[in-house]
Amino acid sequence: MSNPTSAAPAAGALGVIMQRRARSRREILGEWIRSRTAANSWPALAGVAALLAMIGLQQLIEPGTQRLLTAVFLFVALAQAWNIIGGYTGYASFGHVAFFGIGAYTVAVLMNNYHVSFWAAMPIAVVIGVALAVGIGVPLMRLRGHYFAIATLGAAEGAREVINNLTPLTGGGGGITIPTFGDQAPTAYFGKPGFYIAFLVVAAASVAVAALLARSRLGFAMVALHQDEDAAAAVGINTTLVKVIAFGVSAAIVACVGAFYAFQQIEFYPTDVFDTNFTVLMVIMVVIGGSGTVLGPLVGAVGLELLAQYLRVNLGIYNQLVFGGIIVIVVVFFPQGVVTFFRDAWLTRQFSILDNVRRYRL
Amino acid sequence: MSQFLQAAAYGLVQGGLLALVAVGFSLVWGVMNVINLSHGALAVTGAYLAWYLNTHLGIDPFLAIPIVAACMFVLGYLIQRGLINLVINAPIFLTLLLTFGLGLVILNTLQLVFTADDRSIETSYASQSFAILTVNIPYGRLGACALAVALTVLLALVMTRTRLGRAIGATGMDRGAARLMGIRARHIYAVTFGISAALAGIAGTMIATVGSFNPTSTPSQLTLDAFVISVLGGLGNTYGALAGGVVLGVAESIGGLVLTGTWVNAIAMAVLIVTLVIRPSGLIGKAQYSGRVEV
Repeated sequence: MSNPTSAAPAAGALGVIMQRRARSRREILGEWIRSRTAANSWPALAGVAALLAMIGLQQLIEPGTQRLLTAVFLFVALAQAWNIIGGYTGYASFGHVAFFGIGAYTVAVLMNNYHVSFWAAMPIAVVIGVALAVGIGVPLMRLRGHYFAIATLGAAEGAREVINNLTPLTGGGGGITIPTFGDQAPTAYFGKPGFYIAFLVVAAASVAVAALLARSRLGFAMVALHQDEDAAAAVGINTTLVKVIAFGVSAAIVACVGAFYAFQQIEFYPTDVFDTNFTVLMVIMVVIGGSGTVLGPLVGAVGLELLAQYLRVNLGIYNQLVFGGIIVIVVVFFPQGVVTFFRDAWLTRQFSILDNVRRYRL
Repeated sequence: MSQFLQAAAYGLVQGGLLALVAVGFSLVWGVMNVINLSHGALAVTGAYLAWYLNTHLGIDPFLAIPIVAACMFVLGYLIQRGLINLVINAPIFLTLLLTFGLGLVILNTLQLVFTADDRSIETSYASQSFAILTVNIPYGRLGACALAVALTVLLALVMTRTRLGRAIGATGMDRGAARLMGIRARHIYAVTFGISAALAGIAGTMIATVGSFNPTSTPSQLTLDAFVISVLGGLGNTYGALAGGVVLGVAESIGGLVLTGTWVNAIAMAVLIVTLVIRPSGLIGKAQYSGRVEV
């Protein structure tokens, strides 16, 4: 598949996809600096400004609000991760919670059974998550559409059952506890302020990864194979490799979030960290926000998590009913996602929501 | 040995019941390429309807079936006509999301009306059983299984022998061509979903008769079972769901006998994934449907 004029053999698999020409580092840097304009650097600047604002905000808010925003950051990271495989590459994984659970259990088992520091356990969790993604990705990525969705769903259910039954290692259905007090603790507990910063950094990193990926050759390869896999293969994209890399990157972020979540929760059960609702929420946030965009999952995760929390506090027993109703209404009125709708509406000056409903109607 | 025979017999009748849940799910998936995540919720709606008819009006669950089926058909028709048809041409996750949201609305409404308690329909005969040699077979489960087989055969006959069934099949194969032949696709889709909802309602009634149900854990388990059975059996063949249901039922009950803990669930998922990778068209599915999955 390699292009004879450009791909350097030493660059390996990634090089084949990226098809990078051999250039000196100084040349690349100079070109990059010269290419900066207000139009192409504002998203990065806005992102950094938002990050700094959120760090500053921490000093002003009470612990309850801090915990709420921590949950929002967690979902931002998860939604961005799902968007890489589900939005850009077009493979609707319904088993992403498997990586979340594996990440959480790796950290918990290492910290509890082997007294490993969190900072050593977390990278191991990411590596195991990626290994699992490659392991199940290679056979399952041959499936398309619903079949991929169900196979991944099955994989997640299977992973939960394996964790559930490996009682000597994981504690099984009885759950697992990470020691956090005194000499027992391999790493001191972060507390609410610590986890606020930790999840903020993870969320910011996942947004940055998604944004950089979207503008790279690999990102374009992902979008190309989303639109037409056979055509993408015909123009020289190694589709299997691109799919597995996208799945792996996505899984790495999710496993990392799972690792932090495990430490934050201290004590949890297989049903908590392998809860299918995590997967469903990732999908909902991405699709409602706008899949295949960087802003979409961000808007979807922030909007829906804040909405869900608001409903939980203010509507009591009716909150799930209203949440379900809102999902139905948003899906019907903004089938392509809120961000995508407003972007297209702005570009074409077509703001009619009724026309939008007609788009996918039978 | 008698243990194995008992487990196999139990798995067989349980498989019939599960097949009844899956047959409507598989129909909607095969014809419209929609995975209906609210299928379990529709089954539980049927169960509550039958339960209400039984406890408040004293109607036997088997006699309540026509009423439940009619109500569920109307509900299903309206859901498809009013909601799912609006996003039928959108990428696949939208129909998944829409039906997920719909399931939430249905289940939470049921929970508000009937509370989250476990319910079951009490009859004098459902828990009675008769013995063949050493194997006990409860009447309720046998009746449910027989009904499942009868309805599956009936559905297969409707699909192949009647004008309506052929219109549904044609729309499933090529909607554009079907519309050019004068088939009203919107109506046909709605009828298909209505049939699926009616079958789900009947399955729910049977589940309530032979066991218990609640609006929290039953629906998701039913939807997942329907998933697995549809994949095992393959789409586009009405008898596929029956085969898939029996395979799952027998495998789970014998597996439960041999394996400790919940390893049997892990094995079931492994079987599902291997089936998908090796034979995506299922045990007796048709190739034309598996070729349609690229949306």
